Amino acid sequence: MASSFSSPLPTSFSSLSPKNHILHKTQLALFPKKASTLFVTRSSDSGGGSVASVAVADNLEVKEKKAEVKEEYLGSNGAAVKAEAAAAAVAAFNDPRWVEGTWDLKQFKKDGVTNWDAVIDAEARRRKWLEDNPEASSNDAPVTFDTSVIPWWAWIKRFHLPEAELLNGRAAMIGFFMAYFVDSLTGVGIVDQMGNFFCKTLLFIAVVGVLSIRKNEDFENLKKLFEETTFYDKQWQATWQDEKSPSDSSK
Amino acid sequence: MASLTSAAAAATRADPSLHSFVGLRRVPLQNHLVTRNERNAPKTPRSLQIRASKSSPRLSGRPLRVAVIGGGPAGGAAAETLAKGGVETILIERKLDNSKPCGGAIPLCMVDEFALPLDLIDRRVNKMKMISPSNVEVDIGKTLAPSEFIGMVRREVLDAYLRSRAAAAGASVINGLFLKLETPQDSTGSYKIHFTQFDETLTLGGEKKTMEVDAIIGADGANSRVAKEMGAGDYEYAIAFQERVRISDAKMEYYKERAEMYVGDDVSPDFYGWVFPKCDHVAVGTGTVTHKADIKKFQAATRLRAKDKIEGGKIIRVEAHPIPEHPRPKRVSGRVALVGDAAGYVTKCSGEGIYFAAKSGRMCAEAIVEGSANGTRMVDESDFRNYLRKFDQLYWPTYKVLDVLQKVFYRSNAAREAFVEMCADEYVQKMTFDSYLYKRVVPGNPLEDLKLAVNTIGSLVRASALRREMNKLTL
Repeated sequence: MASSFSSPLPTSFSSLSPKNHILHKTQLALFPKKASTLFVTRSSDSGGGSVASVAVADNLEVKEKKAEVKEEYLGSNGAAVKAEAAAAAVAAFNDPRWVEGTWDLKQFKKDGVTNWDAVIDAEARRRKWLEDNPEASSNDAPVTFDTSVIPWWAWIKRFHLPEAELLNGRAAMIGFFMAYFVDSLTGVGIVDQMGNFFCKTLLFIAVVGVLSIRKNEDFENLKKLFEETTFYDKQWQATWQDEKSPSDSSK
Repeated sequence: MASLTSAAAAATRADPSLHSFVGLRRVPLQNHLVTRNERNAPKTPRSLQIRASKSSPRLSGRPLRVAVIGGGPAGGAAAETLAKGGVETILIERKLDNSKPCGGAIPLCMVDEFALPLDLIDRRVNKMKMISPSNVEVDIGKTLAPSEFIGMVRREVLDAYLRSRAAAAGASVINGLFLKLETPQDSTGSYKIHFTQFDETLTLGGEKKTMEVDAIIGADGANSRVAKEMGAGDYEYAIAFQERVRISDAKMEYYKERAEMYVGDDVSPDFYGWVFPKCDHVAVGTGTVTHKADIKKFQAATRLRAKDKIEGGKIIRVEAHPIPEHPRPKRVSGRVALVGDAAGYVTKCSGEGIYFAAKSGRMCAEAIVEGSANGTRMVDESDFRNYLRKFDQLYWPTYKVLDVLQKVFYRSNAAREAFVEMCADEYVQKMTFDSYLYKRVVPGNPLEDLKLAVNTIGSLVRASALRREMNKLTL
């Protein structure tokens, strides 16, 4: 019996820990992204700084060529710029499958059928590139790609199903363990547990918990979210706090 | 999350008082009082309105005297309404030729409600381009009728016009700087205001003067001194930074009737960057609440994103100004009330303030005129609370919806991508323009609302799924 107790626990922990790995990776990925954006914008800012100071003197030409600008920005702040950011800042986003402001779906064909996963990957890569190296929007080549061209089932297959599997797995493990635990304590079998109101409430809480708290940060995020929804209302009603009449406080 | 937009839209629909716009026909100047009464009828019973003036002491021998501090849209509108209502009005403005750093966009309903002559408007924008962080661009404005537009004005022209109307109605416009106010010892005493009057001979420093008034309307903007004097409390504010760029005629042609809005973390972490056309140049700017120290960086990023379109332009002016994010904790104290930016009536998401400034100035003045029975009785704090109540009831749904939109769509680059994608939808464009131009929401089709909710959720889910993919990449 002791061994059967312990067996659900390790499996649930081990299934949670890969999520933690991903969690760490996303946290780490977030910071370098912000840092590289800062570097690129900082380099442009110092160029911008010198630009702005001349602007106050009232007579400044916005530079002609993008390459020139980039070099000027980089040259004036060479020290702070990382090697990759420098190289990336010079080149614009470039991909043979990106034609005239949208993805050419014909180039994504695999065995005669469009490979939607590759389209998703390509778009993610494009957005990441542009986030790290913002470009001028151009009237000659306007970007018109809309993510809704990728069919709904491709999104579900790629993003929803793995997470659904994960959450269902968690819910099943929690459910099995809790049913066993309650049965061992009270002797009430699983069928009779379903008929009990308290047990049904616990089941509801367990399902909502699994759905809403998927990562460690979700605890804090949910609390902040709740505060956020009513914060603006409180700011507007502040002027009514000192008034005695009760009729104005509800909005 | 997306159902918030449709739910909030439903809330605005249900509110019967949102009928401030009476169509594009020229409304005679007196009518704004009539429409106000129509709005009041279902909400506040007649007896409540008369009660205040019945219980206040009658002024003997002189009309009510009100000082309006600040001569922008709020001050000008307030002074005009007060003067028309028979109240003795003094408008104190520190710089009569002030060119405010401002986007300068006014909705159609302002042109009509304030009977603005159309030659005040430099440009009629009927096309807007929204540009996402990855430069996906969407044009909005397809649903606008030929007579509908966003008016772009020069603030110095608009402010001067409203002040001249106030002067024509009987207000005395004084060029002076408000210094401080003294509250009366008892509830019926006068307020004493101290100000420096500048005369035409421009004597250095001006002349220190005082004046006794019965009530004060603080319309002196984001850095309001009246607010400080009355202990109104502070608010969070954004810094808006703008450069006016003169570009070539060929490039100006593109911006003839078009404004652009750039969103992205590079341009602003919690607001947007813009290119707005003015009379003969464009204004390129951005703003932020949380990262004020980086504003120059954001401005450079905005210039970069618009680079191809403003290339070769000459920067003719650089300006910055604070923009309030929410109302001050106290907007009324005794017989001193705040209106406009001084009160903090700037919407979230779009940062619109001119219309609400003028409207709040007018509504406050209307409350005073009514509470004083056209200047014959003393007013008290309850009259000013009436103005607050009416304003809050009328515009709270608008502010709340825009707050929700800002929270949902300005949260991250993924949300911004979803936002721009959503703007391509015609129903969204129609609802957006209707609510902006007329400050009301036309009863939408529930089926369309449902489709909108589904599409919004879809866009947000796709964008955040792509975001997760992006996080796995390291380029």
